[in-house]
Parts: sequence; structure tokens; C-alpha cells
Amino acid sequence: MSLLAVAGTIATPHIDYTAIMPELICIGGALLLLLAGALSVRQIPTGVYTAATLAISVAALVASLVLWHIVQLHGAFAAVAKSLDIDGFSVAFVVLSSCILVVAALVADGYLRREGIAGPEYHALALLAASGAMFMAAANDLIVIFLGLEIMSIPLYILAGLDQRRQESGEAAMKYFVLGAFSSAIFVYGIALTYGATGSTNLAQIASYLANNVLTSNGLLLAGLALLLVGFGFKIAAVPFHMWTPDVYQGAPTPATGFMAAIAKVGGFAALLRVFFSSLSTLAVDWKPILFVLAILTLVTGAVLGLVQRDIKRMLAYSSINHAGFILLGLQAAAASGIAASLYYVFVYAFLVLGSFTVIAFVGERGDRHHEIEGYRGLGRRQPVLALAFAILLLAQAGAPFTTGFLGKLYVVQAAVQAHSYALAVIAMLSGAVAAAFYLRVVFVMYGGAPAAQAAPAESIAGDGGGAGTAADASSGLATAAVAVAAEVGTEVASAAGGDAAPDRVEVPALAQVGLFLTVAFTVVLGIWPAPLFDFVHAAQLLF
Amino acid sequence: MLHAAFLIPLFPFLGFLLLTAGGRKLGNPRAGWLATIMVLASFVTTIVVFAGLLGRAAGARSYDQTWYTWLSVDRLHVSAGVLIDPLSMTMALFVTGVSTLIHLYSIGYMEHDENFPKFFLYLNLFVSSMLILVLADNFLLTFLGWEGVGVCSYFLIAFWFDRPSAASAGKKAMIFNRIGDAGFLLAMFLTFERTGSLQYRTVFAQLGHVGTPSLTAIALLLFLGAAGKSAQLPLYPWLADAMEGPTPVSALIHAATMVTAGVYLMCRIAPILHLAPDAAHVVAIVGAATAFLGATIACAQDDIKKILAYSTISQLGYMFLAAGVGAYVAAIFLMLTHAFYKALLFLGAGSVIHAMDDEQDTKRFGALARLMPVTSVTFLIGWLSIGGVPPFSGFWSKGDVLMNAYSLSPVLYAVAALTALLTAYYLGRCYLLTFSGQQRWSEARRSGDGTHGAAEGDGSPAGALHPHDPGWVMRLPLVVLAAASAVAGIINLPFHPLDYLERWLTPVVGSELLQLHFSTGAQWAFALGDAVLAAFGVAIALGLWRSTSEHAELEPAFLRRAWYVDWAYDRFLAHGSTELAEVTSADVETKVIDGAVNGFGALVAGAGRRLRRVQTGYVRNYALGLLGGLVVLLAYVAVRAVS
Amino acid sequence: MSSFPYLTVLVLLPAGAAFVLPVVASLLAPSSPQAERRAVQVIGWAAVLATLGVAIAVLATFASGSGGFQLVSSHAWISSLGIRWTLGVDGISLFLVLMTALLFPIALAAAGPRRHDPTFVAWLLLLEAGCLGSFLSLDVLVFFLFFELTLVPVYFIMSGFGHERRGYAATKFFLYTLGASAFLLVGILALVAIHAGQTGVTTFDVRALASTHLSDTAGVLLFLAFTAAFAVKAPIFPFHTWSPDAYRESPAAGTVILAGVMAKLGTYGIVRFDLELFPKAVVTLAPWLLTLGVIGIIYGGVVAAVQHDLKRLVAYSSLAHIGFIVVGAFALTGPALSGAVLQMVNHGIYTTALFLLVAMIYRRSGSFSVRDLTGLQAKAPVMAGMFTVVMLASIGVPGLSGFIGEFLILSGTFLTHRWWAVVATGGVVIAAVYLLWAYQQVFHGKPTPAEKGFKEVSWRESAYMAPLIALIVLLGVFPGPVLSRITPSVDLLVNHVEQVGHATVPPAGQPVANLTAKLTSAGGKAAR
Repeated sequence: MSLLAVAGTIATPHIDYTAIMPELICIGGALLLLLAGALSVRQIPTGVYTAATLAISVAALVASLVLWHIVQLHGAFAAVAKSLDIDGFSVAFVVLSSCILVVAALVADGYLRREGIAGPEYHALALLAASGAMFMAAANDLIVIFLGLEIMSIPLYILAGLDQRRQESGEAAMKYFVLGAFSSAIFVYGIALTYGATGSTNLAQIASYLANNVLTSNGLLLAGLALLLVGFGFKIAAVPFHMWTPDVYQGAPTPATGFMAAIAKVGGFAALLRVFFSSLSTLAVDWKPILFVLAILTLVTGAVLGLVQRDIKRMLAYSSINHAGFILLGLQAAAASGIAASLYYVFVYAFLVLGSFTVIAFVGERGDRHHEIEGYRGLGRRQPVLALAFAILLLAQAGAPFTTGFLGKLYVVQAAVQAHSYALAVIAMLSGAVAAAFYLRVVFVMYGGAPAAQAAPAESIAGDGGGAGTAADASSGLATAAVAVAAEVGTEVASAAGGDAAPDRVEVPALAQVGLFLTVAFTVVLGIWPAPLFDFVHAAQLLF
Repeated sequence: MLHAAFLIPLFPFLGFLLLTAGGRKLGNPRAGWLATIMVLASFVTTIVVFAGLLGRAAGARSYDQTWYTWLSVDRLHVSAGVLIDPLSMTMALFVTGVSTLIHLYSIGYMEHDENFPKFFLYLNLFVSSMLILVLADNFLLTFLGWEGVGVCSYFLIAFWFDRPSAASAGKKAMIFNRIGDAGFLLAMFLTFERTGSLQYRTVFAQLGHVGTPSLTAIALLLFLGAAGKSAQLPLYPWLADAMEGPTPVSALIHAATMVTAGVYLMCRIAPILHLAPDAAHVVAIVGAATAFLGATIACAQDDIKKILAYSTISQLGYMFLAAGVGAYVAAIFLMLTHAFYKALLFLGAGSVIHAMDDEQDTKRFGALARLMPVTSVTFLIGWLSIGGVPPFSGFWSKGDVLMNAYSLSPVLYAVAALTALLTAYYLGRCYLLTFSGQQRWSEARRSGDGTHGAAEGDGSPAGALHPHDPGWVMRLPLVVLAAASAVAGIINLPFHPLDYLERWLTPVVGSELLQLHFSTGAQWAFALGDAVLAAFGVAIALGLWRSTSEHAELEPAFLRRAWYVDWAYDRFLAHGSTELAEVTSADVETKVIDGAVNGFGALVAGAGRRLRRVQTGYVRNYALGLLGGLVVLLAYVAVRAVS
Repeated sequence: MSSFPYLTVLVLLPAGAAFVLPVVASLLAPSSPQAERRAVQVIGWAAVLATLGVAIAVLATFASGSGGFQLVSSHAWISSLGIRWTLGVDGISLFLVLMTALLFPIALAAAGPRRHDPTFVAWLLLLEAGCLGSFLSLDVLVFFLFFELTLVPVYFIMSGFGHERRGYAATKFFLYTLGASAFLLVGILALVAIHAGQTGVTTFDVRALASTHLSDTAGVLLFLAFTAAFAVKAPIFPFHTWSPDAYRESPAAGTVILAGVMAKLGTYGIVRFDLELFPKAVVTLAPWLLTLGVIGIIYGGVVAAVQHDLKRLVAYSSLAHIGFIVVGAFALTGPALSGAVLQMVNHGIYTTALFLLVAMIYRRSGSFSVRDLTGLQAKAPVMAGMFTVVMLASIGVPGLSGFIGEFLILSGTFLTHRWWAVVATGGVVIAAVYLLWAYQQVFHGKPTPAEKGFKEVSWRESAYMAPLIALIVLLGVFPGPVLSRITPSVDLLVNHVEQVGHATVPPAGQPVANLTAKLTSAGGKAAR
């Protein structure tokens, strides 16, 4: 009886299921896939899993949009015993996570078939990781954030190591796991210190506590803040907590890399922004300088190291570090506009990075091995469309106008300027210019970088009169012309023969093409007609 | 009648357009005739307008014709239009007149040239630019003509562009002129700044407000321009090289018309020079110096055209001397007569060169008087009139200049007088070497290299060479010009009712300075002096050069090399500046400026390579990095906390 | 507001064509290459010519008397950031727009066989949209967008169709310009933030921003931020080193646009934004910019004088001419500024012509080096004639276009900054030196046997040279109609600078005496 009484007294919080519907769908879906995989007698073809995943993630997307609608109508609310904040901010990230899932599933399918990786694991893990990111975005409690962090991270560790044939993959997983665990430990310790300083792990309560009490010495709290920052910094790959990034990005199966890059940034930044901006905002004077330095380090390191990479995946790893720096700009501004800017940038970045790694995944060929930048030579001639898509994505990352990439940079830099951190703004833009160098390198390799034999001067093939042709009796000045003509002929022959000795056409499966198209369309359309996304981001307000 | 003024430059320009369009189709000689007729038409028009102007009262002889507004930006209004007054008319008359004759002559002279139509196209363009130059009613339009003639001279000097020497000569002329033009431009800027206008009328009306320093500056800057165009110190060397052009060009552009543009400009700005005596004196001194220099060099040249070229430089010096001392009428008078006899001499030289199969070295001529009577006689007249032998035109015009020079300073007079003597001498030398003495061309032929300074020497055997007077198209101009230079003196005799030019021009150039304070006796004395000088010159020439052709002692290398001025220009200006440029481009540009840019790139990349070493791939190092970051952070917050 | 949105059409027409063309091409390509080529031809020509037509219509509807912006059209674009699609044209931009619309067809015609290549033509069209957009935008950020947009097509044209060292040149160009515009963007945002702080309105409209009150320091810093980008784009000494490489390695069409049109983006930016937005700073820093301009004039000439590569030679001469424009822009007098604006157009025309002629020579001889060329006048008199006219225009011989601009610039500069004008005049001499030298090397002398196959100008070539030559002569002889449209806007701008920046500008019809008084004081300022 006493037992019953006890049982009776245990207060189980009221759970608003619509509020966590997307997360539930993802987790449920993941379990479903795993069960199916385990129970089915015969090998279930990858296509089925993919279809299921797509269905699940679309469902999650719908659910999150419904939630968005609710929030817009009835305003934000805290759910599940105030452990979750269902506000525009969190839902926006949930929406984004679902979108990422959709694209990732589309891309993964072809890859899994090509590499002959059977079974539901990939999709299931992706769904779980996404749900983790969603929890992080919504979390209103440091503990919940930590849970989300782990729910997101562990599947990512495994995803990184999913491709047993390449031992880089395993190595990547190992590194990611060890360092991830390390950073998580630090993060937990940060939670503890914060709790010790404020007597709560609930973000709202921390905020109100800090608002209502004046700390005689805030050393403890600051230490906690620092530790939390390290944990977040690891997830978002901020310098100096970034060092795992290149190795993991390079080692992980390419589509997984893209997914990881997107979802980890989503989760990490969602939580980081919320914690620092809403509950630790009173300490802004203390953490703004930190973020200032952190941002500069991240921007510069990413740009400079990206320059000297030969492997395109490593290169994009550094580019993602550079992007992280840009996103930090928004937070460093410590203003609502800054948060909106960061949110916008995360959206933009997620699609850019997904699209880029899609291309890489399929140019990488069977075995996922050909990732040296040289491998892209002449792609513009061999596969104009694919090359163009990649070029757009890269130039958008470089901040080319009329792409979301430019608007993202514009938005965060504006935030920085409004916060009077001009130096930071300038450094950011300059680092962007340096970063542009390595994006352009790839673009040039794809388009201009024909081998020397084909470096035919534009005009030498005489359009009219064919002067060079007639004068081609090779003598002093005209030898060059003769060479040029010969070279030009060479080009025609070569390109007729389907380009130089470079690998021949790589085929991109239909689904992946759809995914790629989605990302490119998102980048260009919203770059030219940016109003919708801007309004969306503006509506995505924090609860408090 | 005055309304026809716009036709004066229009006719030759029309010719230019027609020849550009259909010159090739028109072909040889029709193209030449078209050009000649166009210039003739312009000459006739000029006479008509001249008559119209003559019809007016002496005070009212000035007429503006504005075609349209060329430039109009807030205060700067420049019209395209002509100013018809005695000065511009005088210029227009002799320009069109001489041009007509030389066009005619060219038809004969150029008949075998493959680019015959192009030659006349350039000539017509030149004439029309020259006419714009002299007729323009503002500085800017004058400058347009000024540049136009410069460009045409560039084209025509380099007309035989396959000769490197000709090409270089053209370039040299253009560049020296540009240096002068910089002066002209600056003068215009200053004028505009001070007076707010560039129209002659307005500017001259404003001079009262402008301080003397500015006026002096303006005058000197314009003189710099004039020096470039008229081959005065220090910008004269291009004219000698300009002789690479076909001889009619030398006659028309580099003797009669273009090179006198500078003198015209000085007369045009007479009102400014009045108010800027210092500048005027500079002009006078430079003029005298150039006159002397040119004469000395001419004494030692062998190339017949070079002799005439240096003679031109020297004569132009006289004109500037006259302008400098305020004797504008004398300057114009000398310009006219010089136009006649110098054109005559050049055309004479031309027909000799023609006859000698493009030989130009007087040392390889000789004894041509019998074979080419007309040329010889006309050349003789040319010599006597440039030498200042009475009663030929040169005597009167040069006498006028000398007398005025004296009125400013006896020194100038002395220099000028000495130059006069030299003039009579070196042209005598030239004449005698060419037409008298024993003939040296046949053995020169036999010794082979009969193609000195000329490309078309097809080495035809000496037997084939029969020097003879040219056909009538070339002979007629010779005769006309000879007559002109013989009697041109009458237009401005120093006796009152006969000084037509004097009275004609005075309203324009103002007359304060022109009242010579010499008694009639003194004037006679001067005249006698001039005559004696001329006689001496002639006598010396006859004594020295009638029989022999060798007087090495009289032709020191110093003079043959033209005082080494060209050499100095090459050595220091040309090479010096080239080396400077090489250094700039090789070191400053590539190493410093571009080096900085690429250096930055290299720096960044280098930093990247260094930083990369941190990325060892060992988890422990990464963890260390993470920890390091954490430590730094904690240190920072610790500092924040205690503070 | 005009009934018909000329300017929007002007920008969107080529942009739209740039997107349509590759689609159509890729649809036709598999079926028949001929059809594809024809389609590319048709769409390309239709687009550029239609654009030219619209530009001419703009000229026709342009009311010459007034200096303000005309045909203004403004639409919300990114409302949340206060960015509006605002286009307008005034006397300063009008002829740059026309020039752009004229030069693109010419560039297309001069592109040789590349004009059949869908990607090439598409990039060219996109570039045209970018250039026109930059000249027409009144919204600073939209300007910046187009200003940046131009980089991409140029990069592809250069790297895809250029000469041997195109990779180096293209990347250098892209990064150098991009790096410089980093400052521009931050500057824009800072200015807007300041303006918003003062008025509570976030707008990027240059007309509104012009009324922002800036402290001296802020003004100077923002001026420098803006000018950094423009100085690189123009280019102004010493930020020019990308240009010889870029001009040298681009295909003819690319070089033409780079030198003819895009260089003007920089100088136009200076006139439109620096002078409009930061009059105080302009007055303070004018002497420095003038000095850079003058150095550019002399330096460009000197370096050009020892180039053996014709393209590099023209590139450096272009640096010198840009120097003149810069001088005119910062002299802050009516004549100088009008001259600068006019000279932008002139320079666009004759530099284009020079590069086209050089390209013709290259097409026949396969060389840009004067060492390999000689005596071409005998082989191709017409080409030589064209070259002569263009050369004389760029030397600044009166009666041709180059002179008017230079004269206005120098005489106007002389009023306020005498000694700069004096030195700059020296550049006139230098220009003659290197161009005549090059002409002598290439066209004079006896042709080598190797050149026996050297062809005279073809009909198509003379077809696209003709309008340029005609304009060179017309603008030299009858600049009136152009100037009468430029000057009202220029006067507005000069007065604005004078009032806000207390510049020493002699207003029209001022008596000479106190004018000179003012000038001496100006001299004092300049010296300080």
C-alpha cells in the first residue's frame, strides 16, 4: 500500500505530445526501421528503407510545420514541465532538422546502394541524430540539452564509422568518439558548476536568478560558462576546439559528412544561442569578448588552413569552420537581430553543405576514394550540369551575390556592425575573401583548368579570314599561332573523346539529383527572392 | 563677301574627306588634281574675303563668324568660329597661295609614288588644319589646328614609313611638338583661370585685371608651344630630321607654313606681349640665339635639305627676334618673304634631287647649271633674296628686323647682322656646290653607293642619269615663287605711302612699339649696312666654293654634328628616360607593388602550411588543443572574476 | 515615376536572357548542334541589341535640362533589412549606361568563334546585367550586389576562355577585388546603421543617406572603406597590379568589358557615392587622391613605355587615363567633374577600340609582342588608319574624343589644385611617347616575309569598329549634346559637396578677383 501511496505521489508531468511530435516521429521511425531490419527474414532492399525514412522525415517536417503554425497563432510555450521551450526559435530549428533529414535520405540512398551497405542502420542513426538536434534546439534545461547532445552525437560517431571497408572511416569514428566524449565530460562539468552557482539547471530559472540576484563573486558561474562554451565549441567546430573536424569530415562516409556537418551545427548553435543569449545574457559583458576572440580565431584559421588542402573534404571541413566563425558573429552581437542572423546563416549553411557533399559523394566514385581536388579537372566539360550545381554551391559559400550565401554573410556582418564590432566585421569579410580563394580553386579546376596542351588562346582560332591558319608557316612571330591552332585542334579532338585522361562521367542517381536540386534551388531562389526566409527567421523569436 | 569665310578651311577638308572616301579609285594623278583644285578654291575664297575686309574702314576690319558652341561647361564657353582680321587674312592668303603652288608641284614630284592619293589626302588635311589654326577666334580652336598640323606633319614625315629613319623622324617631330603643346595647354588653363574665357576678344579685353606675373607666365608658356612648333631653342632638333619627308612636304610644312605658326601665335597674342615685356625679351633673345645657331650649323652641312632645314630654323629665329622686340609687322613681313624664297629653294632642291635620282648630298652634285637652267636660275634668285641682296625681298624684310632689333639692343643687332652674313654665305656654298664647279655626280655614280639617305636608289648606271629641268607642273611653281621672292619687297617698303603691310596690320598688333625712332639717314645707313653684309657673304661664298668642293677646315665636326645637341638629347633624355622606365617597370612595378600583393598571398598560404603542422592526426594532440583552449578560457574568466 | 519601367527592364532583360540561353541551348544541343549554335546566336544578339534599344529609349526620354534622378522606380525587395530595388538615372550615369549597352554587342561581335558557345554568351549577358545594375542602382546595397555580381561572370570568362596564364590572372583579379569590397560592405552597413540611429529609418537609398550627419573621423573612415573597393576596381595606383594580368589574359571580349566598362564601375562609384555621401571627407582627402591620380598618370605612362606586349601596354595606358578621371573627380570643380564623367565614356570607347585592334593583330599573327610585328601598315592600311585614329584619340589630340575630357579635367583642376594639373599635363606628353613608339614598331617598317598572309580588316571587323571610330570623332567635334546632359547633374553634385564639405568651388560667373582669392586659399588647403 505504501508502495501504492508512494506510487500515487510520484508526480508525472503532463506531457504535451504535439509539442514533441517531430522528435517522437523521428525516434519512433528509427526504432521501426531497426525492428524491421532485425525481424525481417529476407534482406529488405535499401530502397524500402529510404522510402520509409523519407516518409518519416516528411512526417516530422509536417509535424514541425504544424507546431510552427501553433506557435505563430497562440504564441510560444514551455512544455514537459518547462524542460522544453516550444517557441519560434526552437521550432525553426526543428523544421530545419527535418528538412536536413529529407535531403540526407535522398542523397544517402544512392550512396548506400553504390557502396553496398545494406540494412537500416544509416537511416535509423540519421533519424536519431536529428531527434537529438531537435531536443537541443527546444531544450530549456541544461540537462535536457546534454541529453539532446548525446542523442545527437552518439549516432553521429557511428555514422562516421559506418563504412567498414575504409579504415579512415573507422579512424574518424574513433577520434570523433574519444574527443566527443572528452568534450561532453567538460560540458557536464560546466552544467554542474552552473548549477552550483545558480541553484538550477533550468534556463529560465537561471536567467531569473541572475536577473534578481547580484552575485558577489561570479567566478564559479563564469567557470561553468567557460566549460559549457568548450562543449558547444567542440560541436560547432570553433577554434581551438575544431581539430577533430578535418579528420572526421575526411574519414566519414561522404553523405554522412554532409549530414553531420549540417545537423551538428544545427544542434550546437541552437543550444549555444539559447543558453548564452537568453539565460546568460546578463553576463554578456563577460562572454562577448570571449566570443569576439573565438570568432576571429575560427574565421581566420578556417580560411587560412582551407587554402592549403589538397583533399576537397578536408577543404570543406575548414570552410565549415570558417562558416562557424560567421555564425558566431551573430551571437557576438548579443542582440535579437544577431540571433536572427545566426539562425538565418545556419539555415543557409545547412543546405549549402548538404548539396556540396552530395556532389562530392558521387564524384568520389565507388569506394568513396577520389576526393583530391585535381580529380575535378575538366568536370565542367564532362558534366556541365553537375559542375554548374557545384559551382553555384561553392560560389554561394564564397558569398556570391544573389545567393543565400551572400545574404547570410550580409546579415551577420550587419549584426556585428550594429554592435559596433567593426573590426570583427572587416576581419570576417576578409576571411571570406581568403576562403573564396579555395572555393575558386575548385571552380577553376572544373572550368578553366584544362591541361597545358588545351590552353588554347581564345582568339587564335581565327574567326574570320583565318589569318593564323594561312600564316601558320611557322616562322619567328607566328610560331605561337601555329602552336595555338594545333592546340585548339587538340582540344576539339580531346573534348570529342570525352575530355582528357580524367575519369569519365560519374552518374548521379535520380534521388540524389532531386536532393541536389533542392539545395541549389534553395540557394538561388531564396537568394534572389529572399523575403520568405527572412520573414520566417524574423518570426522565429525566443520565448524570453 | 565675308560670310564666305567658313568655306576657306572647308574646301581642303572636303578634299580630305573625298580623298579618304575615294582616293584610291580616283588614282594618280586625278587625286592630286582634286586636292590642288580644292586648295585653289580655298585660295580664291580667301581673296574674296580679303577683298571684303579691304572694303571696310581700317578701324572696322574685324569680323567674327561663330559656327557652333564647341564646349560649354559652367563658366567655360568655347565656340567653333573664325576671326577675320588683317592678321588672319594675311596668313590665310599666303598659306593658301603657297599651298596651291606646292600641291601643283607635288603632282609632278610624287607621280611615281604608290601612295599618291594618300599623300594628297594628308596635304589637304594639313592645309585645312593650318587654316583653322590661323583663322580660329579662340585659343582652343587654334590649338585644334595647331595639333592638326602637327599630326599631319607626323604623317607626312613618316610618309615613306618603310624607312626606319623616316618613321623615327616622324615620331621625333610629334614628341617634340607635344612638349611644346604642354606649354600651350598650361597657358590656356592659366588664361581661363584668370580671365574666365578663351576667346581672343574676351581675353584681350580682360587683360587689365590680370597681373603682370600671370601675363608673363602665359606668354612664356605659349612661347614654349611656339618653340616646339617653330623649332626654336631648345626644341629645334626635330626639324632637321623632318627632312626625311618628301621634299614638297619640307617646302610646304617645314619651311613655308606650319613652322611659322609659332610666329603667328606670338603676333596674335601681341596684346599680351605688350604687357609682359620680360617675356617679350626672352622671345627676342631665344630668337636671336636660334638664328645664329641655325646659321652656323647650316654652314657645315652637305645634305642639301639639311642645309635648307637649318636655314629655316635660323630664319624662324629672325622672326621670333622681330616679334620679341615688338616688330610684329616685320615678323609677318619676313614670314611672307621667307615663305616665298624658302619654298622656292626647297622646290628647287626637290627638282635637283628628282633629277639626281634621289641623291641629296651637295658634294655629289656640281655643274648642274647648264643642265638645269630654270632650276639653277630660280635657285639663284632664292639665294640672293634669302641672302638679303637688294633689291630682292629678303633685303627689305630682314633689314626691317635688324633695325628693330637694334632699337631694343645693339647686341641683338650684332648677332642678327652676323647671322645675316652667314646666311648669304652658306646658301652661296649650297648653290655653288650644286650648280657650279666640276660635276661630281657621275663618278659618285660609278663608285656605286649612289643612294645616300634615300631608299629608291635602284643603282641605275651613270649613263642612265641625264639631269634635266622638270616638267611644267613642277616648273611653274618655281617660276612663280621666284618672281614672288624677287619682288615681294614692295608690299612693305620703308617709305611711308608704300608701307602697305604696316598700315594693314597695325590695327591688330597695336603700334606703340612700332614707331622707330630713327632718322631717315639712319635708316639709309642700316640699309647700306645690310647690303654690305650680304655682299660680303656672297663674295666669301664665291671665293671659297666656286671651284672646289673641299674645305674641311670650314666644316668642323662640331658644326657638322650640329653642336652635339642631338647627341645630348639622345644620350641623356632618350636613353636616360628609357633606363628610368625600365627600372620602374622591372623593379618598382613587379618587385615592390605587385610583390606586395603576391607577397600577401604567399604570406597567408605560408601561414596555412605552418599551422597545418598542428594538425598531426593524433587524438592526444587534439585533446591537448582542446584542453589548452579550455585553460586559456578559465584563465580569462578567473581574471574577470577577481577584477 | 515613369509609366514604363525602362531601367528595370534594362537590367532584367540581359539577366533573363542569361538564364534562358543555356536552358534552350542544352535542350537543342542533343538534337542538332547547328540548331544550338543558331539559338545561341539569336538569343545573344536579340538580348544585347534589345538592351541597346532600351538604353536608347532611355536617352530619348531623358529630360536634358534637369540634374536630378529620372525614370526612378522603387520596389520593396528585402523589407526586413530595408533594402529596396531602387533604380534611377541621371546625367552622370546616363552615358555610362549607353556606353555599356553599346560595348556589349561589340564585345559579342568581337568574341570570334566563342560567340557560339552558350556558356560564354550567357556569362557575357549576366555581366551586362551586372554592369547596368551597378550604374542604375540608387540603393547602395543593390549597387553592391551588382558590383559584386560582375566578378563571377568575368571570372568564368577569363578562366574559361583566356590565354596561357588565365588561372593566375582570374584568381588574382577576383580575390583582389573581393578583398577590397569587404571594406565597402562593412562601410555601407556602418553608414546605414549610423543613419538609422539618427533618423530611426533603416534605408540604403543613397539620396536619403546623403543627409546623414557624420563626424569627421567617421566620414573619413567610411570614405576610405568605400574608396578601397573603388580604387581597386578602377584601378587607381597603387592598387592596379591585377589589371595588366587580367587585361592580358582575358579573351578579347573580356578585356573589352574589363577595361571599357568595369573600370568605370570604380570611377563611377567614386563620383556617385564618395562625393555624394562623404563631402567633408572628400574635401579633406582630395589632395591625397589627386596625388594618387597624378602618380597614376605619370607612372602608367612610364611603365607603358617599356612594355613589349601590346595588351599590357594598353593596360598601363589605361591606368594613366583612369588617373585623369580620378583627378577630375577630386578636383571638385564643375568643368573637372564633367570632364571626368565624359572621360569615363571616352575612355570606354577608345580603350575598347585599342584592345579590339590588338586582338585583330593577334588573331592574324598569333602574337601580342611588338618584337614579332613590323610594317603592318603596308599589309593592312585600313587597320593602320583605324589604329592611328584611336591612338590619336587616346593621346588626346583635339578634334577627337579624348581631348575634350582631358582638357576639361585639367583646366578644371587647375582652378583649385594648380600644381597637380601642371604635373598631370606632363602625362599628355608621355602618352604620345609610348603609343607612337608602339605604332612605329608594329605598323612602320618593312613587313617580314612571315607576315605575307596578314589580312586586311574584314567586313565584320570594320562593322564593329565603325561605331567606335564614329563616336570618337563625334564626341570630339560635337560634345555639346552630351555635356549639356551631364553638367546639370554634375553641378548639383558639386554644389552639394561645396555646401556640405565647404569645398572651394568657384560658382559660375564669379568675378575674377575674389575667385583668385578663393583659389589661393584653396592652394593653402591643398598644401596643408
